[in-house]
Amino acid sequence: MTTVVDARGSQLSGTAGLVRVALRLDRWRTAIWAVAVAGLTQVSVSALTELYSSPESLAGRAQLISSPAATALAGPGYGLDDYTVGAMTANELGLWVMVPVAIMALLTVTRHLRAAEEDGRLELVRSAPVGRDAPVVAGLVAAAVATLAVGGLTFLALLSAGLDAVGSVALAGGIVMVGFVFAGISAVASQLTAHGRAASSLGMAALGVAFVLRAIGDVRGPESTSVLTWLSPFGWAQATRAYVDERFWPLAIGFVVSLGLVAVAFWLVGRRDLGTGLLAERVGPPRASTRLTGMLALTLRRQAGAILAWGIGIVAMGGFIGLLAGALVDFISNEPRLEQMFPTGAHGAAASAFSVYMVFLAVVAGAYCATAVSAARAEETAGRGALVLAGPVSRARWLGAQVAVAGVAAIVMMLATGLLMGVMAAISLDDDAWVGRMVGAAAVTLPAVGIVLGVAVVVMGVAPRAFGLVWAYVTYVGVLGMFARLLPEGADVLSPFTYTPQLPAEPMDWPPVLALVVVAVGLICAGLAAFRRRDVVG
Amino acid sequence: MTDAIAVSGLVKTFGAKRALDGFDLTVRTGEVHGFLGPNGAGKSTTIRVLLGLLRPDAGDLQLLGGDPWRDAVALHRRLAYVPGEVTLWPNLSGGESIDVLGRLRGGLDPRRRDALIERFELDPRIKGRAYSKGNRQKVALVAALAADVELLLMDEPTSGLDPLMEAVFQQVVQEAAADGRTVLLSSHILAEVEALCRRVTIIRQGRAVQSGSLEELRSLTRTTVTAGLRDADDAEHTLAALAGVHHVQRDDGHLTVDVDTASLNDVLARLTAFGVQSLTAHPPTLEDLFLREYSDELATLGVPEGSR
Repeated sequence: MTTVVDARGSQLSGTAGLVRVALRLDRWRTAIWAVAVAGLTQVSVSALTELYSSPESLAGRAQLISSPAATALAGPGYGLDDYTVGAMTANELGLWVMVPVAIMALLTVTRHLRAAEEDGRLELVRSAPVGRDAPVVAGLVAAAVATLAVGGLTFLALLSAGLDAVGSVALAGGIVMVGFVFAGISAVASQLTAHGRAASSLGMAALGVAFVLRAIGDVRGPESTSVLTWLSPFGWAQATRAYVDERFWPLAIGFVVSLGLVAVAFWLVGRRDLGTGLLAERVGPPRASTRLTGMLALTLRRQAGAILAWGIGIVAMGGFIGLLAGALVDFISNEPRLEQMFPTGAHGAAASAFSVYMVFLAVVAGAYCATAVSAARAEETAGRGALVLAGPVSRARWLGAQVAVAGVAAIVMMLATGLLMGVMAAISLDDDAWVGRMVGAAAVTLPAVGIVLGVAVVVMGVAPRAFGLVWAYVTYVGVLGMFARLLPEGADVLSPFTYTPQLPAEPMDWPPVLALVVVAVGLICAGLAAFRRRDVVG
Repeated sequence: MTDAIAVSGLVKTFGAKRALDGFDLTVRTGEVHGFLGPNGAGKSTTIRVLLGLLRPDAGDLQLLGGDPWRDAVALHRRLAYVPGEVTLWPNLSGGESIDVLGRLRGGLDPRRRDALIERFELDPRIKGRAYSKGNRQKVALVAALAADVELLLMDEPTSGLDPLMEAVFQQVVQEAAADGRTVLLSSHILAEVEALCRRVTIIRQGRAVQSGSLEELRSLTRTTVTAGLRDADDAEHTLAALAGVHHVQRDDGHLTVDVDTASLNDVLARLTAFGVQSLTAHPPTLEDLFLREYSDELATLGVPEGSR
């Protein structure tokens, strides 16, 4: 007689097949992530090695990076008294490799767990002799393999850039550990809500909290002495003291936590029905309020969550940077050797730091614009575009309204960022002039943001299937904005920020700004015109 | 009266695939026109070309007297569309989606909207992401049927509806037709088309293979006659030799034959000589008409003739 002998085992039947499917589905995505992350790491470390070839320059860098503003966006600052390129990589670059890997792990898990369940694929799979836990295992394995691939290739990139093996194991191990923790967080979030997007948002919120905890912790207590640092997976990863005096036990915290999160996820899986979340679905109004009329209102309603999330993120970061202006100026003024490095003086140094940060924030606003246009593309492929366009709504109005909302949202975000940054700087430096200066600095980046938006609209109009090009462009502009000086000459020719005067460090220069406005408007119009001529899918 | 839809020689290619290959369609103003074909035959592509969402590669198109591509916005004021696969805005309730779509066309009659919601037993408070397929379909149906338009383009509008809602749908479409609205109803639920449409077009591989009123189409094909006969042996031999008689089947005293319309009178006249004890004759159903157009495909699929 045969019975179900092992309930847990039967819940896992079919796992191997699902794992193979998951890995096959993800093979290109994983390869692109791994090559992109490892490649950027290799290029960055090589550039740092070249740039900081003398002990003096390394010591100067160490001084600068130990300021609170820099610490918040870097790391706990191990090895600052004898700074090396390795220590610099772990302290300043590590975080910016971990954040994208964490995002990748989050999205991989929600894609396999929640999105498949949402569109009914999982129902089909589960009707086969496949256990309840098998899809969860498959999604987690896919995320783990992707994380290991990125971590492994990044390890090789670190070695090839000339860093030592033990430190590279510690740094790459931290990257993998962070990926595992956020895969676990995402697995739990996927059981709480019934929708992939909501699960991703929960995961991103957790990532934001982890980022802020580490930032505040490291500013309050360098070398991981603040308890806040120890509440964040990023803190554990950076506590390995890679390239300085390696220790590996902090990684164990992360691996144990990720196992715990996975256990919680499995426990929750057994406590809910297929197609539901543990958090109940709320009902909405039976009829639309009178304000919900027209394409603009519909777009705003759809995009409100995204606009708020991106907006709060950018504005808060701007305010945070502004607030640390005083610390930065004090710090430079108190260090005669540093003051010599900045011919424009401490305030000039603050201004030039601000102009770099402003470019970074403007690239983030550009990334928001790309997501807004990709949301329009998603409307089309989902068939909601056809539903609206079958009504008396022209193509230009349908896409134009969505582009307009994205553009206006980006303008408001950047101006609010400049305002808050300026107010914070004015308070911390006790000089009201910073308010106008920073609003102006934010405003002058807007044409460049408009170019990013325009490129997205052109791709949407001409080759919507190649929307990946837009992300490639955003990445290019971001890398150029951050590392233009480290890259070969002429590499920056397609980035709009190359032509934007770097306010407040540089004086205003109208002709290039006006030219960028013309190009941006031209791109948007061309994209809208192309969209009128092509087939609508979905 | 002019035709609401006049399409001739329509060609639409997707890469190497010719989705529509010289397709013709005429829908008269005020009629409910059935549009039949299996998945992939080109029904949805046709409707999307008529909506100006896809640009035709060749052919003449007239929709409500205009060009569907060039005059899209003006024409769309006069028509409404129900897709076969409805997705709604995940964070809008069904009622909000109906209102948003209605207001984009300048407003809905609120009484008609509420009446339709009630008849389709739709809960308008549910968020778009939480509706089942049938309920999403109902949202699109209410939004389209509540609009004051001349033409309804429906692309498998009842997929996912239960039989009760299917009945409500048929009633609502009949009312729309009684109001003088034109309906193009693409479907592969043949009973639905038979109940609602007087004229149909059957599409196959991007071409119209049959088009006309159901009576016309029926007259082009065969009637199945089953007779209980005292002298079935002789009858079998006699009828089998006649022109226009097919598939002679014998079951004891019962004889079943398929008869071409032209030979029907002759067959009935001859049957009386063999002592008719019972007689049934039924015209071809729409299903027979449809499957006949696809008989070679069914043969390749291995479906035996008797079960068709």
